[in-house]
Amino acid sequence: MPVFSRRTFILAASALGALSLAGTAAAEVPALKQKQTYKVGFAQTESNNPWRIAQTDSMKAEAAKLGYQLVYTDAAGSAAKQVADVNSMIAQGVDVIFLAPREEKPLIPAVMAAKKAGIPVILLDRSVDPKLAKPGQDYLTFIGSDFVKEGQRMAEWLAKNANGKSKIIELEGTTGSSPANDRKKGFDEAIKAAGNFQIVASQSGDFARDKGRQVAEALLQAHPDADIIYAHNDEMAIGAISAIEAAGKVPGKDIMVLSIDGGKEAVGLVAEGKIAAVVECNPRFGPKAFETMARYAKGEKIEPWVINDDKFYDSTNAKAELPNAY
Amino acid sequence: MTITDTSSAAPTVRKLSSLQLASRYGTMLALLLLILFNLAMTPNFLSWQTVNVNLTQVAAIVIVATGMTLVIATGGIDLSVGSLMAISGAVAPMIFLDTLVPIADPVLAVALAFVLPILVTMAFGWFNGMLVTRYAIQPIVATLVLFIAGRGIAQVITNGNLQVFKNPGFQFIAMGQIAGIPAQVALMLVVAAAAFAVMRYTMFGRQVLAVGGNEKAARLAGIPVRRIKILVYVISGALAGLAGLVVVARNSASDANLVGLGMELDAIAAVAVGGSLLSGGRANIIGTLLGALVIQLVRYTLLANGVPDAAALVVKAGLIVLAVYVQQRADRS
Repeated sequence: MPVFSRRTFILAASALGALSLAGTAAAEVPALKQKQTYKVGFAQTESNNPWRIAQTDSMKAEAAKLGYQLVYTDAAGSAAKQVADVNSMIAQGVDVIFLAPREEKPLIPAVMAAKKAGIPVILLDRSVDPKLAKPGQDYLTFIGSDFVKEGQRMAEWLAKNANGKSKIIELEGTTGSSPANDRKKGFDEAIKAAGNFQIVASQSGDFARDKGRQVAEALLQAHPDADIIYAHNDEMAIGAISAIEAAGKVPGKDIMVLSIDGGKEAVGLVAEGKIAAVVECNPRFGPKAFETMARYAKGEKIEPWVINDDKFYDSTNAKAELPNAY
Repeated sequence: MTITDTSSAAPTVRKLSSLQLASRYGTMLALLLLILFNLAMTPNFLSWQTVNVNLTQVAAIVIVATGMTLVIATGGIDLSVGSLMAISGAVAPMIFLDTLVPIADPVLAVALAFVLPILVTMAFGWFNGMLVTRYAIQPIVATLVLFIAGRGIAQVITNGNLQVFKNPGFQFIAMGQIAGIPAQVALMLVVAAAAFAVMRYTMFGRQVLAVGGNEKAARLAGIPVRRIKILVYVISGALAGLAGLVVVARNSASDANLVGLGMELDAIAAVAVGGSLLSGGRANIIGTLLGALVIQLVRYTLLANGVPDAAALVVKAGLIVLAVYVQQRADRS
């Protein structure tokens, strides 16, 4: 009577396991049939700020326009809840899942579960760990802004509209975060290429209004010749404006303020002339998201990163665009 | 036969060892050295605006650290101050923005916006004090409760949303000037001076030190230990609430996620650098004021000279280690 030793059993079992793993790893993103209408899921990460609310509204509006059924969940800032949300969407049998992942790693199981259930996943505004899940393989694609490009556009606008101003204080975002790194990289490289400009100081203001103001106060005092402040987000730019006013200078006249994000408060300040220009970080994902989905259903090959286009606000359009700002 | 020789105890002027000198005047010395360093190295240091920037930025820390000094003097610690700042910072705008109930009279609304948030944080301070005294929970654990829950409460009452406002009456506390001195700096000086006077000249001050020095002896001497302890947590809560108002007024915005974040550590650091023993029994208000100024000036120096923020944190930690080391050595000698 043949007897399996424990060792052969373990070997066989692990070989089987390896095979099944290899099997899933090689598979493609699940296909999407062309239909008249779809049931789509949108797993939002949180809705405690205007940007997130604008993103949700845009997704809901576009789904309503197309006549699709939208299953919407809000993870309220918890990665664990978001995984559960995605699982419940899988159970409800949605055709596509739009996911704005809360964190890079914890959402991997959700992406994999959807793939296993034959549901294509499209990531919005944040990506997952590229070592654990790949676009075109585990999920369809990532739709989001190009942060490097945002910094670059700001530098290019400045090169044309500086009006003789040249000494820049840069307020960076949270050290190590990807928007901070990319917005710095894009801006610094483009401003260097433009020549004539000098970044006299560059420090982190943590994307926060209070910290941004304190850092701006200190830097303005140490570099009284600075005449441009470039902030990596609206909150720090607004903090910088109050620092400029506290130093007895006039924002927009003595010191030019530049910002990225383009929320309503900042666009309003552009209209008032206190901020010179803002690159928007576009929260309106609806059109791009559903367009990408339709292209995939038609059988088109989708690029690994679909870039969501950002608007640009300066004195020429801020007043007109203010009602549209998020 | 044993005869105790008392001749050596004759009143001679005892010379202070260098370490005791360092412990007593070290913070002051550090501040002077920092100022000298800045005069030499930092561009445009010598101006009123520099003084202005640093004093307005340090005001909130000093106000909180004053309360913290009293708590630490009783041998306790209050980790909840940052979260209490977030609560008062969240409540105040809700009052004058009429989010809660419409208040017709704008003057009354502003007055309430000052008083109510501080009453709320005082109540939370009382809660801390009750945990520490009646339920005999260690202060670090007792105040950890509100450190965690307090910010949650602030986020829940505001839904986590940023509140933006413009209200000159309310914002006078941070934007206004009293005889040329920024209001928050004046407030800071008043708070520190009042605490100094209370600790030096009142019975309450002596009782605080007695409780911190030897709780059992204090109880046997008839000092109402529980009441004193609860009172210092209430004071700490009130001052944290006041600091929260200053911060949101200065920014014209209240963000429950960020107001007072990390403040408990800044305040404890100021107390430690200022020379109050963390084991209790001593309250050096002037030291705390100087300690906060040292920490602020270190941050300013590094920022103005282009050293990244992360390095500033390391320097701050180094300062605390140095201050505690000097104190311990001085106490032993």
